[in-house]
Amino acid sequence: MSTISTHDTHHDDHGHHHETFLTKYVFSQDHKMIAKQFLITGIIMAVIAMILSILFRIQLAWPDHNFPLLEQLLGKWAEGGRIRPDFYLALVTIHGTIMVFFVLTAGLSGTFSNLLIPLQVGARDMASPFLNMLSYWFFFAACVIMMSSFFIQTGPAAAGWTVYPPLSAVPKAIPGSGLGMTLWLISMILFVASSLMGGINYVSTILNMRTKGMDFWKMPLTIWAFFLTAVLGILSFPVLVAGVVLLIFDRSVGTSFYLSDMVFGTQIMPNEGGSPILWQHLFWFLGHPEVYIVIMPAMGLSSEIIAVNSRKPIFGYHAMVYSLIGITVLSLIVWGHHMFVTGMNPFLGGVFMITTLIIAVPSAVKTFNWLATLWKGNIRFTPGMLFAIGMVSFFISGGLTGIWLGNATLDINLHDTYFVVAHFHLVMGSAAIFGMLAGVYHWFPKMFGRLMDSKLAYLHFWVTFVCTYLVFFPLHFLGLDGVPRRYYAFTEFEFMHKWMTVNKLVTWSAIVAGLAQVAFLFNFFYSIFRGKRAPQNPWESNTLEWTTPVERIHGNWPGEIPTVHRWPYDYSKPGSESDFIPQTVPFSETMSSNLFHDFEGNTEAEQIQREWNAKNDPSKNNE
Amino acid sequence: MVHTMQQNNAPVEFNAKPRKFAMWLFVVSSIIMFGGFTSYYLVFSASKGKGHGLVLPDAFMYSTAVLVLSSVFLFLAARALRNKQLKQQQLYLWITVILGLVFAYLQFRAWSSLYLSGAVLINNNAAISMVYLLSGMHLLHIVAGLALVISALVGSYGKIDHAKLVYRQDIASIFWHFIDILWIYLYVFLLLNS
Repeated sequence: MSTISTHDTHHDDHGHHHETFLTKYVFSQDHKMIAKQFLITGIIMAVIAMILSILFRIQLAWPDHNFPLLEQLLGKWAEGGRIRPDFYLALVTIHGTIMVFFVLTAGLSGTFSNLLIPLQVGARDMASPFLNMLSYWFFFAACVIMMSSFFIQTGPAAAGWTVYPPLSAVPKAIPGSGLGMTLWLISMILFVASSLMGGINYVSTILNMRTKGMDFWKMPLTIWAFFLTAVLGILSFPVLVAGVVLLIFDRSVGTSFYLSDMVFGTQIMPNEGGSPILWQHLFWFLGHPEVYIVIMPAMGLSSEIIAVNSRKPIFGYHAMVYSLIGITVLSLIVWGHHMFVTGMNPFLGGVFMITTLIIAVPSAVKTFNWLATLWKGNIRFTPGMLFAIGMVSFFISGGLTGIWLGNATLDINLHDTYFVVAHFHLVMGSAAIFGMLAGVYHWFPKMFGRLMDSKLAYLHFWVTFVCTYLVFFPLHFLGLDGVPRRYYAFTEFEFMHKWMTVNKLVTWSAIVAGLAQVAFLFNFFYSIFRGKRAPQNPWESNTLEWTTPVERIHGNWPGEIPTVHRWPYDYSKPGSESDFIPQTVPFSETMSSNLFHDFEGNTEAEQIQREWNAKNDPSKNNE
Repeated sequence: MVHTMQQNNAPVEFNAKPRKFAMWLFVVSSIIMFGGFTSYYLVFSASKGKGHGLVLPDAFMYSTAVLVLSSVFLFLAARALRNKQLKQQQLYLWITVILGLVFAYLQFRAWSSLYLSGAVLINNNAAISMVYLLSGMHLLHIVAGLALVISALVGSYGKIDHAKLVYRQDIASIFWHFIDILWIYLYVFLLLNS
C-alpha cells in the first residue's frame, strides 16, 4: 500500500457499495453504529429505571397517601392509588437490575468500548464485527424479555437484584417468584452471553489490532480501563452463568442445589440438602467484580476527559494503569464482604476484610491523581469536564463509606441498612452515571458529528449534581439509625417515624433530578439532528479518534491507519507552539519541545536532538 | 476518488489471529464456568461431609476413551491439512464427527445406568445432581464443538481460501481439544471427589 492507486483498488475490491437501511442502522456490523445502538438502548433503559425509582420513592415519602393517578397508570398494582407491597419489591428489584446490568454494564461498556477501542488503538473495526453485532442483539433481546415481565399477571421478579434463594428458587414463594423470575433468569443468560461476546471482542481487538507504534504504554487510559473491564467480565460472568444454571434447575426441575428444610404454608417442601449460601458465593464472585466492571470504564473516560480539559498530562499515568490492574486483581478476592453476616467463619471474614480495605489504596491513588491533574491546570469547564469532576466527587464521597462497610465488625450493624444504599449509589451508581454522561458529552461530536448545546448541559449538570447529593447523602443517617433497606412503609415502625420528613426531601430531590434529565434527553436527541456541526477535533485532543473524518465511514480512516509516535497526554508541553500534540505527530516535527526521556533510550534519536538543541537552544542539553 | 473511497467498506483482509485469540478467550470463560460448578461441588461436599458417593458407570470410562481418540483424529486432520491432503483431512474429520456422536451416545447410556441404579437427577444429594449437570453442560459444549468440526468439514469440501480453511480447522482444533481435556478433568474430578 505504498501508493495511492494500489490503496484505492484495494478498497474497491472489498467495498460494499450499497448499504441498505437494514444493514446500516439495524443489523450493522460497524462498531460506531453498534456503539450508538448500545447508547440509545442504554438511555431508554436508564429512563425506565429512573421512573421505577421515582415510583417507589413516592411510596416511601407518602405511604399513607392515595394517588389516583398511580392507579390509572399502573392498574391493579396500585389499587386505590397506592403501590402494592409486592409491586414495590418488584420495582426495587428491576430498578437495580436495569441500572447495574443494562445501563452501567451494557450501556456504558457497550457504548464506549465499541466506539473508542477501534478508534483509539487505530483499527478498522473489532476483531469480529459479526460477534459484535450479535452482542448488541442479545442485549436487546435481554432488555425486551426483562421489560416483558411488567406485562404478565404475576409481575416482574421481586427478590431483589441479587435474587437470593429461596425467594428466587421457589416459584410459589411470592408473586414475583413465578414467571417474572423465570423471565429474569432468561434475560440474564442472554445478557451474560451478550457481554461475553462483547468482552472477548474488546480484549482480542486491543491485544491484536493496535496500529503501528501503539504499544501498551502509549494507550490512552480509556483503553486500559476498557481492556481490564473486559478481562474482568470474562473472568467473572461465567460464574454467574454457573449459578444461574443451578438456580434454573432448582426452580424448574426440582433439584436441591440451594434449597433445604423448607415449609411452605402447612406443606413440607421435598427439597433437601442444598444451601442458599452457595448461591451467594457464586453470585458475589461475579457481583463484586461487577461493580468494578461498572466503575472502571467511567474512571477511564474521566481520566481522559480531565486530562484533555485541564490541558495537562494525566498525573501519574503509570500509577493510574497499575491502580487499574490492582483493582482488577483485588476485585476477584473480596466477594465475601457481602456475606459477613451469613455465619461466615470470622477468620475468613477477616481475610475478606483485609483484601477489601486494600482496594482503598489503588482507588485513592486514582483519586489523588485526578485531583493532581486538575491542580494548576488550564481548566476548560466543558460539560464533559463538569461531569468528569462530578464523577470524582461521588467516587470520593461514596468511597469513604466503603471503608466503614468493608470492616467486618461495623458491617454487623450497617449491613442491609440505608447506609449501604447510600454507599453504593454514590460510589458506583452516581459516579458511573456521571462518568457515562461525561463520555456522552465529550464523544457526542465523534458519534453524531454535531455538538450538544452547552447551556442545557450546564443546567443538566448542576441540577443533577446537587439533587444527587440531596437524594443519597441523607440516607447515610437513616442507615446509621438502623433503618433497613427494601422496607415498604416507614409508618409501620415506631423508630422510623422520625425519618418520614427526610424521606420527603429525598423523594422531592429525586423528582427534581428526574426532571433535569429531560434537559439532557431533549439536548441529546435534538442535537443529533439539529446540533451545531462539530469540527474534526472540537476539544483539541491528542488521541487517534479525532484524526478520523467527521462523517461516518466504515473502516474509520479513508487512507492508511495513522502511525502513533507518542503517548496521548502531551498537553501544554513546554517548548511546543500549540498546547496539544496529537499522538500521530512524530518527534521530528516537535524538536523544540522534545525531552530526552521521550526517546525511551533510543540513542540515535537522542543524538539528533542533542545536535538540534546545540544549534537552537543550547540550554536544553544541560537537562 | 475520495468520494468513492468514503462510500466503501474497510478492506476486509482476512486476519485469523484476533479471531483465534477470541476463541482462546472463550475457552478461558468456559473454564471459569466449569470452575464455578466444581467449586460449588467442593464447597457443598466440604460443608455436608459427603460427595456423590457413587461408583461412576463404566460408560463414562468408554466415552472418555472415545473422546481422546476423536482428539487424535482431529489432530491427524489438522496435519493432513498442513500437508495439503484434503481427502485425508476430510476422512479424519468424518471420523472425529462420528466419534463425537458416539461420545454423546455413551453419555446418554451413562445417564440411563445412573438413573436405573437409583441415582436420579432430582436428588436430595446435590452432589449427585451435579454429576448430571456437569456431564450435561459438557455435552452442550460437545454439540458446539461438533458444529465447529462440521464447519471445517464443509469448508474442506467447499471452495474457500486455504487461509480460511486453515482458520476453521484451527478453531475446531482449539475448541475440540479443550472440551476433550475438560471432560478428562471433570471425570477425574468426579472420581476423586466421590
